[in-house]
Amino acid sequence: MADNSDSRALESPPHSNVEPSDVELVSRAVADDETAFEELFNRHRRRVSLIASRFFRQREQIEEVVQESFMKAYLALPDFSNSQENSFASWIARIAFNACYDELRRMKRRPESATSNVSEEESAWLKAQLRSQGAGDDVEAAAVARDLADKLLARLSPEDRLLLVMLDVEGLSVAEIGEMNKWSISKVKVRAHRARASLRRVLERFL
Amino acid sequence: MAGHKKTDPMTDEANAQLDQLGRALLLHASASNEAEAEAVAASPFAYTRLRARITAEHERRAGGETWLTLLGVVWRSVPAMGLVAVFAFILFWTSSFGTTSPGVLSDEALMDARDAGIENVVFADRRTLSSDDVLATILQGDERENSR
Repeated sequence: MADNSDSRALESPPHSNVEPSDVELVSRAVADDETAFEELFNRHRRRVSLIASRFFRQREQIEEVVQESFMKAYLALPDFSNSQENSFASWIARIAFNACYDELRRMKRRPESATSNVSEEESAWLKAQLRSQGAGDDVEAAAVARDLADKLLARLSPEDRLLLVMLDVEGLSVAEIGEMNKWSISKVKVRAHRARASLRRVLERFL
Repeated sequence: MAGHKKTDPMTDEANAQLDQLGRALLLHASASNEAEAEAVAASPFAYTRLRARITAEHERRAGGETWLTLLGVVWRSVPAMGLVAVFAFILFWTSSFGTTSPGVLSDEALMDARDAGIENVVFADRRTLSSDDVLATILQGDERENSR
């Protein structure tokens, strides 16, 4: 979750031109320093883009999430508790996940985003992968897996998909997810259990 | 995850396999988009677009605030306007009640007034007098004088 830029800044020699910390940049940005917010944007936009890419394939959608996340962050900056060194990174990540969740919900509501059917070929591939314990590594298999994954994941609810990406792709702990969503640990566990059950049901339908 | 319930080992194994497959698919779906993410992160005018968007959002919120302020003012003025309307009605009602009576304003009462000048003015306001009316009025006046 934490951005590496802060640790790099700490590792740099003391006599070098030390980059300002996020805390300092946030303070300056709140005081209407345009360059400070631009620096924060440049520092964290890659992380936000990566989070958006966990959910969306099209560049426009990823850009939309990045823009939306930083706009929300800018407008909410005066309310942000600027206390810990890494808190801005966690905060912007949380905003990005929320923006992804909102975009997933919007997509789900659109009639043109109706889930497309899984072909017989893809279903056969899925069965083969189940027998061989996981998806293959070659380029063709990766392309099939990507298309199939998109089709299957589109059948999950936005909540389930968000939670599974946080757990299995981002590798966040239950405690981190709880802190991020303001949920208790038991609630995260229950929701994760339900999300896995939903994904199993989706997979079983095509096996 | 399964809690304390007794579960079928075959089912557990099948679930574990499905979980593993699901995880692999999630990773495939997520990892394959990293090139797009890098391209977005390296986009040259991203900050300029962000600034434009922030400015537009500020303007949108300012417009919304103006309407809200106006609505607030109107909402707050409703009781005051109601109070003024009630007060004006009461004022009108009491003034019309206290100074005049309905009989005074009627045409019949004016007709009976002793001052002929008043009659003339009132009639002049109402309609054009015919020659007969004028003659009748004069004769009536003369009769009154004679009777005294």
